Formats: sequence, C-alpha cells, structure tokens
Amino acid sequence: MSPLSPIPLTRSAADWPVRRMDGPPGLPPVTAPAGTPGAAPAGPTSPAADPFGQLLQQFVSEVNQHQQVAAQTVQALQQGQPVPLHQAIIAMEEASVSFQLMVEVRNKLLEAYQELMRLQI
Amino acid sequence: MVEILSGIQTTASALTAERTRLDVIAENIANAQTTRGPDGGPYKRRVVVFETVLQHALGRTTPGGASATVRVARIQTDPRPPLLVYRPGHPDADANGMVALPNINVHEEMADLIAASRAFEANLAVVKNARAMALQTLAIGKR
Repeated sequence: MSPLSPIPLTRSAADWPVRRMDGPPGLPPVTAPAGTPGAAPAGPTSPAADPFGQLLQQFVSEVNQHQQVAAQTVQALQQGQPVPLHQAIIAMEEASVSFQLMVEVRNKLLEAYQELMRLQI
Repeated sequence: MVEILSGIQTTASALTAERTRLDVIAENIANAQTTRGPDGGPYKRRVVVFETVLQHALGRTTPGGASATVRVARIQTDPRPPLLVYRPGHPDADANGMVALPNINVHEEMADLIAASRAFEANLAVVKNARAMALQTLAIGKR
C-alpha cells in the first residue's frame, strides 16, 4: 500500500497528458484499458536512453492530442459556438482511427513479446 | 504528425464552403419576396464565389504533394435588375403602382440548392471512403 502514495507525488505532472486521454466522452470505453499498456513501455525503461520508447511516447501523445482536439471541438459545438458539424465529426473520426492504429501497434508489440516468451529453450 | 486520414483537410474545406453556399441559398429563398432592404430597395440576390487555396502556400505539405483546399472568396450580389410588378395596393409601390421585387427566381434557387446538396454529398462520400480505407488498412494486421 505504501508505494502507491509516493508515485502520484513524483509523477503527477508527467502522467497527466496520458490520463487525460480517457476524458473524451464521444468514444467507446476501450480508451481506458488500452491507453495504459500503450504508454507503459516508455515509462519504466528510462525514455531518454531508449529511442524506441521515445518514439512510442511521441506516438501516444499524438493520439492523445487527436482525442483532445475531438473533445474540444465537440464541447465547443455543444456550447453553441459556431463550429461546423462536419468538423466535429471529422475530428472524432480522426481520433477514433488514430486510436485504433495505436491499439493495433500495441497488439503487435504484445504478440511479439508473447511469441518470444513461448520460445522453447 | 501522423497523417491518419489523408486528404481530409481538402474535403473538410469543401464541406465548409458548400455549407456557406447552402446558407446563402437559404437567404435568397427566404428573401424572395422582400421589397425593403437596409438600403431602401428590394433584396438583391447573392451568389458565393469559391476559390482554391494551396496548402503548400500556407507552409503545410502532405506526402502526396500540395493539396488544394477550397474556400469562399466572397459573396457578391447578382447584378440583374429587380422585377417590376404592378401592385398599386402595396405599401412599397411607386407613383405608377409598380413594386420592385427581388431579382430571385425560386426555381433557380431550388436547382442551386440541389447542386449544393449533391456536392456536399459527394464530399461526404470522400470522407466515408477515406475512413473505410484507413480501417481496411488497419485490418491488414488482423488474422
């Protein structure tokens, strides 16, 4: 129980952008479980020394940005601001497709890992 | 930035432009009988003019080269003269009993409306197909 409390103190600022990805309400709830494994490889292995981790982190943050843009556009539309309807829908579609791309990448990584673990020694 | 749905900016700009065209047509139809405008005369028919914007000029390039988006350059009035109708009882009639009605033919506006609607539909089809292509590409990895 004790290791749980120091983590938010040290990492709260870095974790925020990743966690906020769960926010947009327009998308299926797949967001919450799949978002964390995608970000996980970059976290424990120090990202500065790991180019692949950096690449993953950048990709996840791009997906996150798509989600945020979609959420903001939908919010602006609902508040009655003059946002064209198709723009909101396109933003949501972009967020959805980029998220699915991220899930596919994560599935591939996991598959490769499991393949390695199944190796006969 | 990963280009997820390529060419979608072009289509989105066309959708916005067609939407504006639809608004202007709605304005024309709504004011087809308006004999009194802010300048005193009858309402004048308005027409949208589209123009191409090269994304390349804005410093944004796509892998497929410079993509041209569309935008509404200006909304200008139709120079055709107003329609003079003999209606002596009308409050806006002149000394001879003639009323100047707007230079709007509702049938023409309906034809324009159909054209705008079809153009919008065509662009929506592009969006739909771009999405379908992206999803089908993602399905390559699935077994």
